[in-house]
Amino acid sequence: MVLLAGTLGAALAGVGAGCGRAVLFSIKIGGAIAALMILVNGLVTERGATVLLRLGEWPLFGAVDVTAEALMAGAVIGLRALGTMVVIGVWSAAVDPDRVLTSVHRVARRSALTATLVSRLVPLAVADQARLAEASSLRGPAATPVGKAAAARRLLAGSLDRSVDVAATLELRGYSIGNKDSAPARRRSRHDRRFLLSGLAILAALTVNLLAGGSQFDPYPTITWHFGPTSLLLAAVLVLGGLVTRSGSGGIRGS
Amino acid sequence: MEVDAPITTDRPQLLLDGFSCSYPDSDSFALREVSLTVGSGEFVVLAGRSGSGKSSLLKAACGLIPHFHGGTVSGTVMVGGRDTSEFGPGDLADLVGYLAQDPETQVVSTTVSAEIELPLRFRGDGDAARARAVEEVALALAIPDLLDRTVASLSGGELQRVALAAALVTRPSLILLDEPTSQLDPVAGDELIWLLRRLNEEWGVSVVLAEHRLERCLAAADRVVAMDRGSVAFDGRPEGFLEFALAVEPALATPAARMFSLAGLPSLPVGVRQARSALSGLVSAPGADRSDRNRSGDPTVRVGNGRALRCEDLWVELSSAGRSADVLRGVDLAVEPGEKVALMGRNGAGKSTLLRAAAGLVPPVAGKVVVRGGVALLTQNPGDYLVRESVGAELEGPGGRAALDAVGLEVDPSVDPRDLSGGERQRLALAIALAGRTEGDALPDLVALDEPTRGMDRSLKDGLAHLIETIAERGAAVVVATHDVEFAAGFADRVILLGDGELIADSDTGEVLAGGWYFATEISRVLDMPGVVTVEDGVVALGQMTGREGPE
Repeated sequence: MVLLAGTLGAALAGVGAGCGRAVLFSIKIGGAIAALMILVNGLVTERGATVLLRLGEWPLFGAVDVTAEALMAGAVIGLRALGTMVVIGVWSAAVDPDRVLTSVHRVARRSALTATLVSRLVPLAVADQARLAEASSLRGPAATPVGKAAAARRLLAGSLDRSVDVAATLELRGYSIGNKDSAPARRRSRHDRRFLLSGLAILAALTVNLLAGGSQFDPYPTITWHFGPTSLLLAAVLVLGGLVTRSGSGGIRGS
Repeated sequence: MEVDAPITTDRPQLLLDGFSCSYPDSDSFALREVSLTVGSGEFVVLAGRSGSGKSSLLKAACGLIPHFHGGTVSGTVMVGGRDTSEFGPGDLADLVGYLAQDPETQVVSTTVSAEIELPLRFRGDGDAARARAVEEVALALAIPDLLDRTVASLSGGELQRVALAAALVTRPSLILLDEPTSQLDPVAGDELIWLLRRLNEEWGVSVVLAEHRLERCLAAADRVVAMDRGSVAFDGRPEGFLEFALAVEPALATPAARMFSLAGLPSLPVGVRQARSALSGLVSAPGADRSDRNRSGDPTVRVGNGRALRCEDLWVELSSAGRSADVLRGVDLAVEPGEKVALMGRNGAGKSTLLRAAAGLVPPVAGKVVVRGGVALLTQNPGDYLVRESVGAELEGPGGRAALDAVGLEVDPSVDPRDLSGGERQRLALAIALAGRTEGDALPDLVALDEPTRGMDRSLKDGLAHLIETIAERGAAVVVATHDVEFAAGFADRVILLGDGELIADSDTGEVLAGGWYFATEISRVLDMPGVVTVEDGVVALGQMTGREGPE
């Protein structure tokens, strides 16, 4: 239940932030993974008391019985994957990596810069790879085909060239002068308080739930679960927390 | 060397004194005994053919040579009184800004505001000082609305402005620019030059601008420095430079200057305004007679069978950043074998997409594109085709040799493609695209090139135009997507203009490139006469107007 609430909350937050497409894409991918988890777990796990299907003897697998418990356990695993995909999707679409790096800048300045460069250069490398693949497809039939090794070498060479240019740019910007550089400017938002309160509420609910023993779920030998009031509270807070990106004008849009 | 430089008593922003340098592992000098100064508030244009030393001079002026690129140096380079042998690029960042050709490698952050404030962060400026500096430079470059955008969402012109903002945010007194308009369309390119003029005239920033398309920037220049094989061949006023160019290096002269010289007219104009002013004294006002201009409405639209390329109500949709958009909207056109066509329009108009659709790389969502006899496409980055260690390894067998012959490239098969000149690499890439698509003397019905003139000087462009002519004579239709109006006027019979994915003009070169503001040659903007777009057209027209014949 908490997993489901967290996934729902993340999806709501993503939609509220104007990242509906990213959320939908993540749900599709995560849903496919979840379905696969359920199927695989149902076929390979021999545990569980409630047999739903007897599929006989399979090579390598032996006797295959599909139990409700195995399907439920697979569903929980799949839900974890789905939730993770949704969170990653919303993060990638809605979170400004520069602002995240601002928060870690004082702790690890060079790592923050390295991470910024990775955020900037990895998409460029992906675009380079797509361009090289396109050029490869445009080669005439009598030109020597481009194998994976040659393509990889070319991509690496191009990335190294670009890295040299980027390094030159950093030199020109003054990276090497050795001053203790100031932290990036943190631009205030009128929504800061709302996000802070939402984060504190989720942290508080999580802490209370953990101290109270949390919820219990065990799929084997039969499905048993227990959700106390603190678990219900946590689930509610997670769902409501997803509304933090909603505003009167239809959602918070930002870089 | 000819010198006609004004004397100034101000401390120069840039001083080179007998400076020579060579890159690591190179036997030749990139710069030889270069001596020049750039005074406070000067706008200097750096001219010269490809490989003449312009880029090396700019890199020396900001300390990248020798601190970053290494190599052997002698002589002195002083920037704002600081010797670059002692002060590296970072130490000079508050005195000099640098902008290179490719904006992608000059922007290292993920958001615009983070990119612009980066140099200030490295310098240790406080929050308030940084915020103000970012706001000021964004306003100066007219990009305040970009501050919250990600750099991945910017166009090429916008990215170049952001890179310029990052170079200017420390308020340097000198800005160095290495062909910053080479990847920009005419609109964005003119806007960038206008911005530089404003920086120079209103805020006194000294500018050193290396450019091939001198007709764009000569009128703004106080001085021109021409480089030749690493040495300064000319240093003086733009008027003197044009005389030098016509006498010694015609490839550097602007179209208007060449036209005036061939027409036997006195004085060489620096820019369109001076040319029009000079002509108004000799002939009736340029452009006054517009009676021949077609004012009946839509420009002539070509019709034909489209035996080489035919598009019928072509719609192409592309996805970017999770959003889909129609890049081509109902395009109808027909190209016949042997035609030479320039495909023009602003960045994002759909030129590259049209060529990629013709090559089968992107499918239409509606309508169709038909290419019967095969297509060879050379994309914007010819280097992407060169993946092996030798020319022979790229092109083997009779098919490879036929392709090399088709592009007129004669090199030792053992040569490494990276050791070829820029023009040779481009021809090799085209040969790779053609290999196996030739049959005897026949070429594919369509040969397409996407922005092939980036970074090329005029002599290389003339060579490319000659190659296009040769290919067209062998029966292939040649379609070239280009921003270069002068190049298009030189090679094309026909110009297709795209705007926001729609075909907005399709007619003879003389009709499309005359009478406009941005998509018009310098000759057209000087004379403003229907059908007059090239130097040769202009000479004939002037001869008719003045009754004199120009020199042979």
